[in-house]
Order: sequence, then C-alpha cells, then structure tokens
Amino acid sequence: MTGAELVIQLLAQHGVHSVFGYPGGAIMPIYDALYQSPVKHYLCRHEQGAGFAAIGYARASGNTGVCFATSGPGATNLVTALADALLDSVPVVAITGQVSQAVAGTDAFQEVDVLGMSLTVTKHSFYVRRVEDLAATLHEAFLLAQSGRPGPVLVDIPKDVQLAQVSAHLPQLAEVATPAGAAAFPAELAEAVALLQQSKKPLAYIGGGAHMAGALPELNQFLRATGMPSVTTLKAMGSVDKYNPLYLGMLGMHGTQAANLAVQQCDLLVCLGARFDDRVTGHLARFAPHAKVIHLDIDPAEINKLRAATVAMCGDLKQLLPAMTVQLDNPAWRNECAELKHQFGWRYDHPGDRIYAPAFLRQVSDALPANTIVSCDVGQHQMWVAQHMQFGSPRNHLSSGGLGTMGFGLPAAIGAKVSRPDDMSVLVTGDGSFMMNVQELATIKRFRLPVKIIVLDNQRLGMVKQWQQLFFSGRYSETNLEDNPDFVSLAAAFAIPGHSISRKDEMADAIESMLNWPGPYLLHVRINELDNVWPLVPPGAANQEMLMETAP
Amino acid sequence: MMTPHTLTIRTRNDAVAVERLLQVTRYRGFQLVGMQLHGQADQQGMVIELQVQSERPLSLLTGQLAKLYDVLQLDVHEVQAQLRA
Ligand SMILES: Cc1ncc(C[n+]2csc(CCOP(=O)(O)OP(=O)(O)O)c2C)c(N)n1
Repeated sequence: MTGAELVIQLLAQHGVHSVFGYPGGAIMPIYDALYQSPVKHYLCRHEQGAGFAAIGYARASGNTGVCFATSGPGATNLVTALADALLDSVPVVAITGQVSQAVAGTDAFQEVDVLGMSLTVTKHSFYVRRVEDLAATLHEAFLLAQSGRPGPVLVDIPKDVQLAQVSAHLPQLAEVATPAGAAAFPAELAEAVALLQQSKKPLAYIGGGAHMAGALPELNQFLRATGMPSVTTLKAMGSVDKYNPLYLGMLGMHGTQAANLAVQQCDLLVCLGARFDDRVTGHLARFAPHAKVIHLDIDPAEINKLRAATVAMCGDLKQLLPAMTVQLDNPAWRNECAELKHQFGWRYDHPGDRIYAPAFLRQVSDALPANTIVSCDVGQHQMWVAQHMQFGSPRNHLSSGGLGTMGFGLPAAIGAKVSRPDDMSVLVTGDGSFMMNVQELATIKRFRLPVKIIVLDNQRLGMVKQWQQLFFSGRYSETNLEDNPDFVSLAAAFAIPGHSISRKDEMADAIESMLNWPGPYLLHVRINELDNVWPLVPPGAANQEMLMETAP
Repeated sequence: MMTPHTLTIRTRNDAVAVERLLQVTRYRGFQLVGMQLHGQADQQGMVIELQVQSERPLSLLTGQLAKLYDVLQLDVHEVQAQLRA
C-alpha cells in the first residue's frame, strides 16, 4: 500500500472514525486514500474551523481529535487552533501534507517550514522523511497527544512519502504510559495529610487537570469526605457535583465573590490540576496570601512555576486523591463559606422589558436536556455562560480558556456534535466572535448537523468595550459593530432557520422553539450594549478587590 | 549578578531538537551565553551543552526542557567556573 493509505488505516486502527479537514495539492494522496474509506471526513470551510472542530470533538468526548490540512496556507491556517489546544491541553493530532522532499527547502509552491512554525504551538511535531517511519511516527503522535498532560501533535508528511510504497504491516500499539501512583509519594502524602489536618481553612482549587485525569469520582468523594469548600477554574466548571453545598463557583477575574473571598481567606489551598493562571490569581503576590499550597499536577513544569508549593506531587489524581482523603473538622470555616455563597448568590431580577443576558442564559440552561454540550466564544457572553449556566461535566462546557480565541465556538460546537451525536450541541456566541468562523455554517448545512446557535448581539466587541469604558476613559476605539449583518438572514442563506428576539416576554417561547426544532437553528438575541460583566477584578488588583456594577 | 548555569542535554539526533531547546530557552526568559554541540558516533543522539543565565530560577527552564519529547537526559551543573572567572 502507499504511505497515504497507511495513514488512513492507522487512523482506523486508533479508533478514529471522524476527521475534520480541507484538501489541497500536497495532501492529495491522503485525500485519495480517504475516498470511500470507512473514516468519515468532515469538510470544514477553513482549516482553522477544522482545527477547532477537532478540539470540540476531543473536549466533548475525551478522545483525540484529528484534523487534516495541506502544506503552506493550509498548515498556517491551523496555527491558531493548535495554539488553543496547547494552552488548554487538548489531545489533537494534526496531519499536514508537505511538498516533496526533492523540492524541500527551495521555496517551492506552497512550501512553508511547518515543522519550524509548529514548534511554539504544539506539544511536539514530526516531519516524516521515510515511509518506513510513518506508522511508528503516527502511532507515537497519538500516544503523545493523550499521554501525561495532553496536547496537540503535528505530523508533517511530504508528498513523496505519501506516495511511496510500504508494507501493510501495522505496528503493535503500545499503551499510554501510566502516571506515578500513590506508592511513589509516601513522604509527600504524609505531609499533605498533616497539612490538611492542621489547616483551619482548607480550600480546593480545581482545574481542568482533574477531569482530564478521569478523577472526578475521586474528587467528589474527596470533597464530600473532607467537607472542604471548593472553587473551579473556567476549564473545570462542571467538575464538582452541583448539589455540593460548599462549591463556591468559578474563581478569578470574573469569578464569584464567594469564590474569590474564600480563596483570599483560606490557609491551605489544595490545587488539583490547575496552574495559577493570571486570569485566576489577579495580582499573583497577593493571591491566597495566607495559604500554604498542596499542588497536584501531571506536569512537573507547573510545580513552583508561579506559586511555590509546600507539598507537590506529579502523579495520578485518581490514586492521590483517595490517599489524601481524611475527615476534617472545621465547622466555622464551612459555615463561613456557606454564608459567603448565600450572601453573594446571583440575582436575576432585572427591571424593564429588554433582555438581560445573565437571566436569559440561566433560563436557557434550565431548559436544556441533560448532557447538552454548550460551546461558547470569547468575550462577555463567554463569562456570562460560565457564571450563569450549569454543567454536569467539564465535557459539556467548551470554552477557549488559555488562548481566549474568538471564532472557537461554532466549529467547536460542530466537533462536539460529531463526537456525541445523541447529545444536544448548543453554541452561545457574540456578534463579534460569530463572524470569525461564520463560514462553518456551511459545514452545518452540508452534514445537517442540528447545532443550536444563540447569538448574543450587543452590536459591540463587548468585552473590549467594557475595558475601554472602565480603563480607557470611554474612548471606544473600533469596538462598534452597529453595521452587523442580519444574522437570521445570514443563517437562512445556509438553510438554517432562525428567529430574533429583543424582549423578556419573548424568551420562553423562543427558547422552546429553538430546542424543539429538529435541525440546526439560530436564535438572535438583542441585548443592550451597556450591559457589562460583573464582578470584575481589575488588572493588577488582588482578587478581593472586585468591582461591582454601579448604577449608571 | 546573574549566575550562569550549564545544562548538559542529551537529545534525539534531530536538528530540530536544537531549535526546540533554543526556542524554549529564549521564551522562558533565559539568555544564552554559550553552547557546544556534539553528535554521537552511533548517531543515536546529540549532546548539547547550554550555558544560560537569567533573573528567573533555573528550575523554570529545566522543567520546560525536561518535558520536551526530544530530550532524553538533562543534567545541571550549578555554577560554571570558567564563565565566572
Ligand atoms: C481572535 C481574537 N481576536 C481578538 C480578541 C480580543 N477580544 C477579546 S473579547 C473581544 C470581543 C468579543 O466580542 P463578541 O464576540 O461580540 O462578544 P461580547 O464580548 O460582545 O460578548 C475581543 C475583540 C480575541 N480574544 N480573539
């Protein structure tokens, strides 16, 4: 068989049934091998869309997402999605066609040094010189993408390697290496347990690593048994059982007041698969100023990177959490946290007729079938989704965290629908972000994917506008989108029905119609451009210094 | 004064491994003050010595280098006598 045929066979061997991509000259042999093969290809309308669809597929399912692109512009178009996958630790394998080795390094047509370009946006990247190495390299790519801290891996395959003949022998698949277990950390575990027992105000700070380790049952058991209050990062929303009375919500720049105040008061921070990102910590030196830190993460490079740990363990959370599960007795602290949660609960009473996005999203969230996957874009609406919608699992909340990439949402919602066809896939996007990968409406149309699209339209690049209002003296430079297209007509051009609403009394019917419609649907929701996201920890401030909404 | 450190790194025998080491060194805020590279006779790998300095703790660099796929072994020599002289 040819190298190209081997690629497709190996995908099948790795259980990859769906890939996202866009063809072109240097990857034509692979597209030829794909033709009439059992691997289903979803043609996206931009390689960035294909990359984000692979991310959505991976994040919603836990499996590795795969995308294809041709050399040169195809590969350069993938870069943003690869960076997104790197910063959010998403297992993705990107396969790019490359010019033949005979012309490599000659500035050949559509030649870009993709290996060089990919260095900073991948966990690792390979350039395959010999067809004999192709199987082992692809296999290694899948292992790497999933193992340890997951991430994107790129495999650049010159056209001559795709065309060369190779024996049909497929390599034996090795298992993903298992991380160190509890037995590797006797001293650290003893110290951690001692810290837990000494602590008067312990708090769990949970990141995306917990669910990626498959450790949510152990996490929730740990929280129940210790009675420890908890907060989560954006990526970990949905990790903690929603009935846990001491779960205080998201922390950080747009976190809940309860979460931020509790973190600032705690004396022991148990950091589980999180990385002290600046959107979480605010002023780093003033973050959790009274706390000792127990840091558990699969990536040793995260330990002591931003915050020194009193005890650290790089191993399997599924084993480490049970080994740290002890009964604790801090009723005063628990009461204090419960009181914070009660005192600073969200309020949805809002005067007037116009739609208030937080209340609208809460209503949508309550109406969604169980296991709905909600994808979103970047900006104010993204923070409202995190604040006001509820998720039963982090796999049901796809949000571009580390890179904060506008244009993420629509293709991610597509990938999510492909990976979990039986679950509903809903996109909440902003009028700015939606336009960044709007071409993917064609993908929805082509594959008749019943993705529900909610466009929260404030006719602004809202989050940037909010910062201009608060920190740049109201100088609204280039954030006005009053000339937006008619989004319902735009959807109609792709055979997607839709409806537009602007008043509260229209919300219930509109939500019901959207959810009951059997196919894709676009709900255009006009909101006021003056609405902002609160609370907000201003840049450079400590997390207790949250700004709240003031009367206009 | 910033203390230079010497890292001895054994990598897979792939030119791009050197690019990765240099990229990570720069990006993580370390200045490169010297470098030697030796190919292995058996072509199984390369040994690269990097002399680096920074205001930042060295562990911030070594942690990032050690997790590169290309890096097979990494040793740190805390202070490099000839560079101090
Ligand atoms: C690709 C990209 N470019 C620019 C930004 C900077 N940015 C962050 S939020 C935002 C505004 C987003 O506007 P919209 O999608 O309408 O959402 P809103 O904030 O109004 O809810 C911008 C421009 C970004 N995050 N990503």
